[in-house]
Amino acid sequence: MSDLTRRSFLTWTGMGALSVAAMSLAGCSSGGSSGGGDSVRFAWWGGSDRQRAYLAALDAFTADNPEIKVAPEFGDYDAYQERMTTQMAARDVPDVFWIPSPAVLTYRDAGLYRDLDGVEGLDLAAFGADQVETFKLGGELNTLPKSIFSPVVRWNTTFQEEDGVSLPDELSWDSLAELLVDYAKDNAGGRKGTTYGPYHDMPFESFLRQRGEDLWTEDGRLGASVDGVAAWIDWWEKLRLAGATTSVSEQDGIEPSWSSVGDKVLLTFANSNHIVDDAQAFPDYVFDQRDVPAAEDAAAGYHFTYYSRFAMYSGVPDDRVAAAAALMSFNLNSPELLSLVGLSAGAPPNAELLDAYEPDATPDEQKVIAITREIAGTEQRPRFEAPAGSGSWRDLMIRELEEVTLGQKRVPDAAAAFVEAVEGEIAGA
Amino acid sequence: MMTLTSSKDTGRRDPGATGAPGAAGSSGAAGGKPPRGRTKPSGGTRGQGLVAHIFLLPWMIGMVGVTAGPLVASLVLAFTDYDLLSTPQFIGLDNFVRMAGDERFWAAVRVTLVYVLVSVPLQLGFALFLAVVLDKGLRGLSLYRSAFYLPSLLGGSVAIAILWRQIFGENGLVNHVLGWFGIELGSWLQDPSLALSTLVVLNVWTFGSPMVIFLAGLRQIPEELYEASMIDGAGRVRRFWSITIPLLTPIIFLNLILQMISAFQAFTQAHVVSGGSGGPLDSTLFYTLYIYQRGFVNFDMGYASAMAWVLLLVIAAATAANFIVSRRWVYYGDE
Repeated sequence: MSDLTRRSFLTWTGMGALSVAAMSLAGCSSGGSSGGGDSVRFAWWGGSDRQRAYLAALDAFTADNPEIKVAPEFGDYDAYQERMTTQMAARDVPDVFWIPSPAVLTYRDAGLYRDLDGVEGLDLAAFGADQVETFKLGGELNTLPKSIFSPVVRWNTTFQEEDGVSLPDELSWDSLAELLVDYAKDNAGGRKGTTYGPYHDMPFESFLRQRGEDLWTEDGRLGASVDGVAAWIDWWEKLRLAGATTSVSEQDGIEPSWSSVGDKVLLTFANSNHIVDDAQAFPDYVFDQRDVPAAEDAAAGYHFTYYSRFAMYSGVPDDRVAAAAALMSFNLNSPELLSLVGLSAGAPPNAELLDAYEPDATPDEQKVIAITREIAGTEQRPRFEAPAGSGSWRDLMIRELEEVTLGQKRVPDAAAAFVEAVEGEIAGA
Repeated sequence: MMTLTSSKDTGRRDPGATGAPGAAGSSGAAGGKPPRGRTKPSGGTRGQGLVAHIFLLPWMIGMVGVTAGPLVASLVLAFTDYDLLSTPQFIGLDNFVRMAGDERFWAAVRVTLVYVLVSVPLQLGFALFLAVVLDKGLRGLSLYRSAFYLPSLLGGSVAIAILWRQIFGENGLVNHVLGWFGIELGSWLQDPSLALSTLVVLNVWTFGSPMVIFLAGLRQIPEELYEASMIDGAGRVRRFWSITIPLLTPIIFLNLILQMISAFQAFTQAHVVSGGSGGPLDSTLFYTLYIYQRGFVNFDMGYASAMAWVLLLVIAAATAANFIVSRRWVYYGDE
């Protein structure tokens, strides 16, 4: 060592750095073995309550399967997606991971999913063959639904009783609009009918399906027409201009946080599972939920049940596949997991599991179960996942909504700009 | 007099440098010949060099692995179509050409330039004002200094950005105060003409860091200059403009460069305050925020890399321009 000169030191340092770079490149080009040693890496998103609940569930899993270690990887929804993007680029993806809705086909096109057909240790016995068929993407069983939910209208029954409002059994878009405008005018508490909510993706999709359109087509394009988008925005604009919604300023943006507006409105659009967490933000109020309004001429089969999916990474080493499959089975079939995590992320697709859980469900969870069963019993035409390149469609929608609400664009122009921008992003992917 | 010292001034030399005075074993110095080539260091010097290199090793590894490597990689990616998921495809200058026709790129450029040109002078002016006030020998100076410095530590944090959302919201503190004077405004953050100003205010509020540097500079101005000017009848304003400002110009210049570079790279505040969108109507779409959107939302990492390199070149050009212009207004005592 005493003969080490600056030149030789730099040489060795350079060689060391080259080695590190070479190893990194080797890691990139190897097709991506999943890291994490002997542990099964499990990635999911949510708030701190869900984090705690799933950590407890994973502890229960490892207690039942002491030969399997689990390495949890948790993040807030946005942070989760950013981390997944980076992990995908590095081919260092978790073994079992939740899939954000805009990324289902993006991840598929990136080759992230392992074919789950016939994977040893994956227990799909609770699902019929027809049901398993509906889980497939492009004819391949490469993802599974971890939970299911649907778009709903959720209302504050406390306000409803205080203000003497009755919701009709048959709710159309027109009758709901009329009710919201009247409510905002008449209630004594200065409450609004609803939040300004055209950014809500699932009610938007339901609105389109009632028109016979789809949000996304089977061949990976935007299914919404300019007229369809314009009709949706127009419905909301009429409400906003009539003073039936909270203003964009009042709700501090196109996409408000529930905690800041939940006590200002009679009802809001939501996903059927949101009531579990959202009701806890306002413990003084009672909430209920029901199916979204239906147009009088709604197309048949417009209802849909959204599958929130999870998958096994294609790069999981063969000797870890069975352990990863066991963890997926635990997520699909375990009553213990359900008792720990509840229905905040949606109802389980396993009907037997849901039946067994029902007696222990909280009142709000009972409402999730009720609407889940109601929608599951309806006629549903197929729905298709968001194609690669469409991940920013909600941002594009919000930008156009800003233009409209600030008076910079007319609704038809905003709708046309939205469609053009989304199609451009998809084409560029 | 405040001067910038160098090894030339102090007479210190790198012991291993060519022709170093007093360097032992200088082969070329024997026989009165001028030294030629590399001077062989003594064992002791070599040992010190080894220790120095060992101490430098963590930094060098970090520099190569965490900074230089990604820097070079991003330069390569700037000339590719890379979606993070598949192999990058070389596309030459297409990403740079695309920028010219990208409306949001120009919106981001516009927002960032306004932010830099408005917030940096305001921040430096405010920092200088408070530094001058604190330099008057207030009681509890260290307490004030710490208190004023605190926003510099917190200003770029997510927590403060969230606080800003509350303060400038429709029912926030600012509108509450304005309401006392009969001024009714909506949410500042939802008004395209006001949203950027809230981020400018946030940046100005983080004046602590330049203020501390100004304070250090003020302390180096010789008191006798003020005394002499007072004898000559110069008032406070005259002393400030004719003594304080000229002798502080090197510090002003340093702060200007530091804060300008920082402002060009501002990200967190805009990301949190606008919810990552840069809205409303792209009024807070900072350049770095748009880079992030292209790279991590649209998986357009080639374009994002090209944008990052354009930013680097713009910052380098702005810095170089400042250095050139500084010859006209920055006064070093030894010139």
